Amino acid sequence: MAAGVEMREEAPRVARLHAILWGIFSLGGMLAAFLLPVMIYLTGIAYPLGLWPLNGSRDPSFLVMGTLLGVLFVFVTVAGSLFHGIFRFQSALTEVGLLRLKKGLEAAGYLIIFAGIILLAYYLLVLNPSLPAL
Amino acid sequence: MTEKTFPELRRKLTSGWWTSNRHYVQYMVREWTSLFVALFSLVYIYGLSLLATGSRSAFLNLLKSPAMIAFSFIALIFTLYHAVTWFYLLGQVVPVKIGKTTSKPWQALVANLVLLIIVSYLVIWLLVLR
Repeated sequence: MAAGVEMREEAPRVARLHAILWGIFSLGGMLAAFLLPVMIYLTGIAYPLGLWPLNGSRDPSFLVMGTLLGVLFVFVTVAGSLFHGIFRFQSALTEVGLLRLKKGLEAAGYLIIFAGIILLAYYLLVLNPSLPAL
Repeated sequence: MTEKTFPELRRKLTSGWWTSNRHYVQYMVREWTSLFVALFSLVYIYGLSLLATGSRSAFLNLLKSPAMIAFSFIALIFTLYHAVTWFYLLGQVVPVKIGKTTSKPWQALVANLVLLIIVSYLVIWLLVLR
């Protein structure tokens, strides 16, 4: 009887955690879809090749230094993409024969995600000791 | 009474199961593009670590290296592929009902692609041009 009650309480808690994790996953999918292309273009293509809108006169470090808007943009884009990308890749690996490593893959995936996001926040704070207004 | 036994016919799934069908291949390619989404994020965090530890030139040299430029092009293509498949998926998962008609997945794709262009330009305007 007692075990039954416990199970009934346990199930929604696990389900809620899963719902939250999948919610962040799809939020990350949105961020990666809408914001990551322009970010890759600005930092990885427009800057080194001197294309519009940077035109070789600015380097992309201005994105992460000085304006709250730029810092927020970089944080949500990189954190969201990292969560989404690792989560999805890790589950794709279980579908090509690594199912027996599912637990380990999940643990490694979440470790990379959370370490990455914490490092990202830390570096952004180091670069902007006192965040100015928008 | 003897029970009749049947041989169990269960196809064993190999790690290459997804190559048997075009839709499975598309699915697997879509899932693997997420690796580039994640890799770009990790490389960017590494770049930030260079910048945060005071070597701005190392950060900029990383971005200017031919390997990084090539990687950025591949990552951009895969990210756009991710965006297109994600938008199509949205149209399938949450179709919008307007009156009696329900939206088709391709309509969600087109609407979201237009939105993607607007959002991208808005980001460039807010962060660079303004």
